[in-house]
Amino acid sequence: MNLDRDFDVVGALKSVYSLVIILVLWEVVTQMGMIHYYFLPPLSDVLARFFELLANGELLENAYLTLKRAVVGLAIATVLGVVVGVLCARNAAVEWFFDPIIKIGYPVPIIALVPVFMLWFGINDTSKIIMVAVGTFWPIAVNARDSTRQVDKNLVWAAKMMGTSDWRLLRRVVLPAASPGIMTGLQIALPLSLIITFVFEMVAGGGGLGALEIEGVRSFQSTLTYAAIIAIMIVGLVLDRLLRVARARLLRWT
Amino acid sequence: MDGNVTISNLEKVYDDGSERTTAVEDLTFDIDAGEFVSVVGPSGCGKSTLLYLLAGFLDETSGTIEVDGTPIDGPGTDRGVVFQDYALFPWRTVMENVTYGLEEQDMGKEERRSTAQQYIDMMDLSGFEDNYPKELSGGMKQRVGLARTLAYGPKILLMDEPFGALDQPLREDLQDQLLDIWGDLDKTVVFVTHDVEEAVYLSDSVMVMTRHPGTKKTVTDVDIDRSKSRADIITSDEFTETKNEVWRSLREETQSGVQP
Repeated sequence: MNLDRDFDVVGALKSVYSLVIILVLWEVVTQMGMIHYYFLPPLSDVLARFFELLANGELLENAYLTLKRAVVGLAIATVLGVVVGVLCARNAAVEWFFDPIIKIGYPVPIIALVPVFMLWFGINDTSKIIMVAVGTFWPIAVNARDSTRQVDKNLVWAAKMMGTSDWRLLRRVVLPAASPGIMTGLQIALPLSLIITFVFEMVAGGGGLGALEIEGVRSFQSTLTYAAIIAIMIVGLVLDRLLRVARARLLRWT
Repeated sequence: MDGNVTISNLEKVYDDGSERTTAVEDLTFDIDAGEFVSVVGPSGCGKSTLLYLLAGFLDETSGTIEVDGTPIDGPGTDRGVVFQDYALFPWRTVMENVTYGLEEQDMGKEERRSTAQQYIDMMDLSGFEDNYPKELSGGMKQRVGLARTLAYGPKILLMDEPFGALDQPLREDLQDQLLDIWGDLDKTVVFVTHDVEEAVYLSDSVMVMTRHPGTKKTVTDVDIDRSKSRADIITSDEFTETKNEVWRSLREETQSGVQP
C-alpha cells in the first residue's frame, strides 16, 4: 500500500488545528452539562439538525433566498459603483457632484437604515436587494475612484503617444490598470452584502438564512439557530473563495 | 530623410495659481534627421520638461517645436518615448506590449505578430513573448520598452534617462544595443541623461543646459570613430577630451547653484 497517495489527514488537520480544538472543547463542555442546553447545544446535536435541514431542503431553499438577495444587490452596486467611481476620477463635474455624497454616505452604518428601507420599500425581496445595493455601493465606488486616480500617468502618455484616442483610453488603459483596485472593492463589498441581507432577514423575515436563525431563537430551538449559523459561514466562505479564484485568474499579471 | 526637429524660442512656465516657475526659457535648437543628441544638465534644469514638450505631453508657453516643418500638436506616432520607469502595460505580455502601437494602426493580427516578433528578436527577447512585465528584470523591461516604441515606427526617439535605473554593466550593454539599432534604423534620437560619459559615448552632439531656468548653454560635437570597440573609444584621447569639455561646462552650472 502506498501511503503517499492517501489523503494527508495530519496535514489537513494542522492547517485548522485551532478550529478543531475549539470544536472539540464545544462538544466536551456541552456534553458535560457545563452550559445550559438552550444557550449552546452540543456540536453533535447541531450537526444532526444541520443535516436534517439539508436533507429536507429547508436549508437550500433559505440559502437560495439569501444568496439571491445578496448577489443581485451586489451586482447592481458593482455596475453603479464602478461607473460612478471611474467617472468621478476622470471628470471634474461628476466628482463635484458625487464627492460630498460619498463623503457622507460611505461612513453611514447602513444597518441603521433598515427601518427606513422597511418604511419605503416594504419587507419584500426588492426592498432587501435595494438595501444591499445601496450599502455595498460605497466601498465599490470609492475603490474604483481611487484606483482610477492612481493610474500611472506614464501609461496614459505611452498609449497616447502610440495613437490611442482620448475616448478609447478608458477601455484600453484606464480600466485594465485600475482593475486590481476595483476587484479589491468587490472583495470588501462581498461580506458586507451578506451582513446586510442577514440582518434585514432577521428583522423583516420573508425567509432566508437570517430569518431561519432568528426563528430558532424565537421558538426555543437553539439547534436551528446554530445550524443556520453554520450554513451562513459556509455561504460566506464559498463566495469569498470564488472571488479569490476569480481574482487569481483575471489578474494573473499582478 | 524625415525626422528633423526645429525648436524656436521655446519657453515653458509652470503656473499653479500662486507661483510662476520658468522651467525652460528662450531655447532655440535644431536637430537634423538621423542625429543622436544628448541633453545633460543639473537636476531641475528642465531637461525632462524639454523632452515632455517634444513629446507633446506638455504645451509650450511660447515658441514653437516643429517636426519636418510642421508644428507638433500633442502626442503623435511620428515620435516615440522611452520612459525611465519603462511604463509597460503590466496586464499585457511582452508580445502584447509590443503589438499595442500596431493595434492602434489597425494592422491585421498576422502582420502585427510578425512585425512585433522582428523587434522582440532584435532586442534579444525571444522566448519571453508570453511573459508578463512583472516576471522580467529591469534591463529586460527596458528592452521591451524599446521594442514597443520601435515597432510602430516613429521617426524620432525621445528617451528620458532610459538606463538610469540600471546598474553599470547592464547599462553599457543597452547603450551598445541602442547604438547598433540607431545605426541600422536611421532614427533621430533625443536622449536625456545626467551621465556625461553616457552622453558623449552615444551622441553626435551633447547639449548642456543651464541650471535655472533651463536653456541651451553649450553644444559640443562628438567626433569619435564608431567602428572601434567600447574599450578603445573610452580610453581614446578624443573621447576623454570631449568628455572633459562637457563635464567642465556642466560643472559650472552645478557649482553656480551651491549656496555659500
